[in-house]
Amino acid sequence: MEASDSYLIRPHHQHKFKPAIVKECIREIVRERLSGVQYDPDQVPELSRSLADCIKDKVKNAGFDRYKLVVQVVIGEQRGQGVKMSSRCFWDADTDNYAEDIFMNESLFCLAAVFGSYYY
Amino acid sequence: MEEYQNGNEGSFNSEEAENVVKECIENIVGAEDYSQTQVNKWTAGIVERCLTQLVKQGKPYKYIVTCAVMQKTGAGLHTANSCYWDTTMDGSCTVRWENRTMYCVVSVFAVAVV
Repeated sequence: MEASDSYLIRPHHQHKFKPAIVKECIREIVRERLSGVQYDPDQVPELSRSLADCIKDKVKNAGFDRYKLVVQVVIGEQRGQGVKMSSRCFWDADTDNYAEDIFMNESLFCLAAVFGSYYY
Repeated sequence: MEEYQNGNEGSFNSEEAENVVKECIENIVGAEDYSQTQVNKWTAGIVERCLTQLVKQGKPYKYIVTCAVMQKTGAGLHTANSCYWDTTMDGSCTVRWENRTMYCVVSVFAVAVV
């Protein structure tokens, strides 16, 4: 008789969503894609979409199976305006977590947040 | 024992969520002008209120609510989302709201638990 793997309803400590690792993923991609880029209203929609997809793929490949991912990227022009962004989550604090990073240069600012929710 | 019914719920109802969010925004920043000192309170208030209203619906979802408030100075703002989830059960909704002095963008992501 074959012994079957038991179905995990809680992640092992090694497989938990690690904010530090994900933050590093985000940081690399954003710095690489946005260094030296000027805010251009025609290109930015496409740029933000492709950044979000890139980050999602990279985090997926970082090995967080059983996690559903939500990636949000906000890019805005720097014109001396005030911006405030906040978020709240209703989830299982033991298994779920998030990571975020902010990038700024003289013409734009970019905020990327990744939320990971465990799928039971 | 109360029986938990699932199966007819289907996917996330984004229209209903949109109405909830609009009502929350109106309530908190409806008549206000952008103020550097108050903006922290507003974003926290909007997000918390949206979350409590959504949770009150009692659906089997985990929620993620984000809110961005930006002063109107002619600058541009873009948001993009990319999600890796179950497209039949999970969903999101984004509400853009503005008044004379500021923009408010609220995104709600609902991830099914079962």
